[in-house]
Amino acid sequence: MMDLLNDGERLERELTPEPIAAPAMGSLLLHGALAACLFAYAIIGGLFHHNNWGNPGSGGAIQVNLVSSALPLPSDQPPNQNVLATETPSKAPAEPSPKAKQAVDETAIPIATKQKPQPPQKQTASKTSQHQPQPKQDNRAQFGEQSGSSIPRSTMAKGSTNGPVTVANGDFGSRFGWYVEVIKRKVDQNWFRAEVDPRTPRGASTQIYFRVSRQGVPSNFKVNVSSGSPTLDRSCLRATQRVDTFGGLPAGSNDLWLDVTYDCTY
Amino acid sequence: MNTRFRLFPLVSLLLTCLPICLPAQDWVHTGTNLGNDRIRIAAADFKPVGQDPQTPALKAAFDATLYSDLNSAGIFDLVSKSLIPQTTPGSPQEINLAQWSAAPSNAAMVAFGALSATNGRLVVYGWLFDTRNAASPQVLGKQYNEIANQDMARTVAHRFADEIILRLGGGINGIAETKIFFVSSRSGTKEIWEMDYDGQNEHAVTHLGTISLSPRISPDNSRIAFASLGREGWAVRMYSLELGRMVNFPAGTAGGSNQSPAWSGDGSKVAFSSSRSGDPEIYIADASGGNLRRVTTFRGPDVAPCWNPRTNAQIAWVSGRTGLPQIYTMDQDGANIQRMTDGGYAISPSWSPNGQFLTFSWNRKYGPGAPGGQDIYFMDIASKRWLQLTHESGSNDYPSWAPDGRHIVFERSIGGHTQIWSMLADGTEQHQLTHTGNNFMPNWSWK
Repeated sequence: MMDLLNDGERLERELTPEPIAAPAMGSLLLHGALAACLFAYAIIGGLFHHNNWGNPGSGGAIQVNLVSSALPLPSDQPPNQNVLATETPSKAPAEPSPKAKQAVDETAIPIATKQKPQPPQKQTASKTSQHQPQPKQDNRAQFGEQSGSSIPRSTMAKGSTNGPVTVANGDFGSRFGWYVEVIKRKVDQNWFRAEVDPRTPRGASTQIYFRVSRQGVPSNFKVNVSSGSPTLDRSCLRATQRVDTFGGLPAGSNDLWLDVTYDCTY
Repeated sequence: MNTRFRLFPLVSLLLTCLPICLPAQDWVHTGTNLGNDRIRIAAADFKPVGQDPQTPALKAAFDATLYSDLNSAGIFDLVSKSLIPQTTPGSPQEINLAQWSAAPSNAAMVAFGALSATNGRLVVYGWLFDTRNAASPQVLGKQYNEIANQDMARTVAHRFADEIILRLGGGINGIAETKIFFVSSRSGTKEIWEMDYDGQNEHAVTHLGTISLSPRISPDNSRIAFASLGREGWAVRMYSLELGRMVNFPAGTAGGSNQSPAWSGDGSKVAFSSSRSGDPEIYIADASGGNLRRVTTFRGPDVAPCWNPRTNAQIAWVSGRTGLPQIYTMDQDGANIQRMTDGGYAISPSWSPNGQFLTFSWNRKYGPGAPGGQDIYFMDIASKRWLQLTHESGSNDYPSWAPDGRHIVFERSIGGHTQIWSMLADGTEQHQLTHTGNNFMPNWSWK
C-alpha cells in the first residue's frame, strides 16, 4: 500500500509545515476589510437622511383609502335616518297629530231629547284570536315623504347661503364655471360629515389647498386654514384626496395645472 | 486645472436638469355649503337644415332621444319643453343666452344645434353652452356624420347626451349607449334578448329552442355567458356576439347543474355555481374554460356569484348554509367570508361599479303568514347600512347595476306577469322598460 509513494517523498510531505502564515494573514486582512466596510457603510449611511417612517407623504407604503359611501347622485334633501326610498320626496311636513278631544263644558244645561228605543243587542260570537300576530307594517312611507337618505349622497347641509357658486377670483372661474361646479360636486360627494366630531361648532370652516393637473388628477393636498377642529380638517382633507379625477382641464384653458382652495363648512 | 474643466460640463448638465416652471397656471376657490342642486339644463329642439324629406322624422327621433337621455341621467333638472323659448338656434351665432337664462326657463346650461339629412348622410352639429358666462360660453362643440336612418339618429343623440353627461357629471361616463341583456319568453321558449338602455330596439340574440337563463355580458361586450338546459342538464354556455354563434366553454358542462355565471371586471375569469360535487358550490374558471377551481366548501347551496368590478378580487354570493339564503362576500380564493344580511330571504346580489355598494333582492319578513314582499335593497358594504328602494309594488328581483353607478335595472312581477324596470339608485324614477310577454333576469352591459 505504501509503495504508492516513495518513503522519502512521504517523509518530506509530513515534515514540510503547512503554509499557515500567508493565508492566515490574508484571512485576517479580508475579515478586517469586511468589518471596515460594514462600519463605513453604517457611518456614511447615517449621514444621508432617509424618510422611512412617520413623515408626511406615502413613502411607498400601501395607500389605504377610506371607503366613501356616497352615491354619485345629487341630493335635494338633507341627510336623515329614513330607510325607505320614495318616488315622491317632498318638503311638505308630516301629517299633523290628531286633535285632542274637546273638553266637556260642565256649566252647559243638558237639553232633554227624545229617547230612541234601543235596538235589540245582537248576540255575536267573539272572534277567535288570530294565531299569527300581525307585525306592524312599516313598509309604508309616511305622508310628506322624506327620501330615503340613510345612505348619504352628498352629506353637506343646506346652509343659509343658497345662491350661485361664487368663484369670482381668477380668470378660470369666470370662463369655466361649469368645471368649478364639477370640482365642487365631486369633493362634496366624498365628504363624510360623520367623520367630524359632533362637538365641532356649526359654521366652522376649513380651507384645503390642492392642485389639479392637466388630466384632472388632484395632488399636493394641504390644509391652508384650519378650522380649529382637527377632525373637520382631517375629514375635509380626506374628501379631497378620495377623488380620482375631475375629468381633464377644459380644452379652452392653457393651464398646466389649476390651484384650488376648497372650503368645508360644518 | 483639469478638475475645473471636468466640472463645467457636470454643472451645466445639472443646470439643464433643473425643472423649468411655466407661469401658466390658474386658481379657483370653491367649497361646500354653496348649494348642491341638480344642474338645470335645457335641451333645445335642433334646427333642421335643408329640404330633405327625411329630415323632420329624423329630427323628431333625435330630439326625443336627447331629451329622454338627459332626463334619465339622474343629475340634471331638465327644463320642460313648455318653458323653453320657442326658438331653434342652429349655431352659436343664433343663440340668445339671456333668453335661456331668464325666467321661465332659468337654464344654467343649454344644448342646441343643427341637424340635416342630405344625400343619405345625417350630419349633426351640437353645442353645449353655459348661459351665465357670456364671455366664453362654450362647454362642448360636437359634429356627427352618419348614415341617415332612425337608428343612427337615435345613436347620435345617445352619443351627444353621453358627452354632456360625461362633461357635467364629474367624469363618469353616461349610459346612453349601453345595452341591457335579458331573458324573454315571448317567442315561446326562454331566449336571451338585448335592448337599448331605454327599452328601445328589443331583439333576440340566441335562438336555441331551449331554456336559457341569467345572461351576463362580458366586460368587452364580446360574449354572453348564460345557463342553458341541454341534454346533460344545466350548463354554463357562451355565445359570441362577434361571431354570431355559440363558442366552447368546457368548464361549464361537467355533471350536475351549472348556473349563474359572472364575469370578473377585467374579463379574464368567470365564476359560476356548479353542483358537480353533489352540493352547489362556487367555481372559478378562466374565460376560455381552463383552470377550473372550487372556491366554497360548506354544506348548503352556494349560488349566484358576482364579482367586485373595481378590485376583481372579491365575490358576493348567496349561501344557504344557515338555512334561508343570505348574502355573503369573500375574497376570490375563498378566504375572509363575511355575512351581509342578518335574516330574511336575500338573493341576487349585484356589486356596484365603484365597489362600495351591493344591491340585492330581500324579503325581510319571510315566513308563512308574514307580511312584507320581495323588494330591491341597497347596502353599503363597509357599514352594512341598507336602504329599501322598492315597496308595495309586486315582487322585485334580480337587480343589476348600470356602469355609471347611478341606475339599477330589475325585474318586477305583478299578477304573474314579469317585466323589466329601471330606476335611479335612490329608488326614484322607476320606469317600465319592457311591455310584451314575460321578461326577466336583466343584466346591464359594462360600457
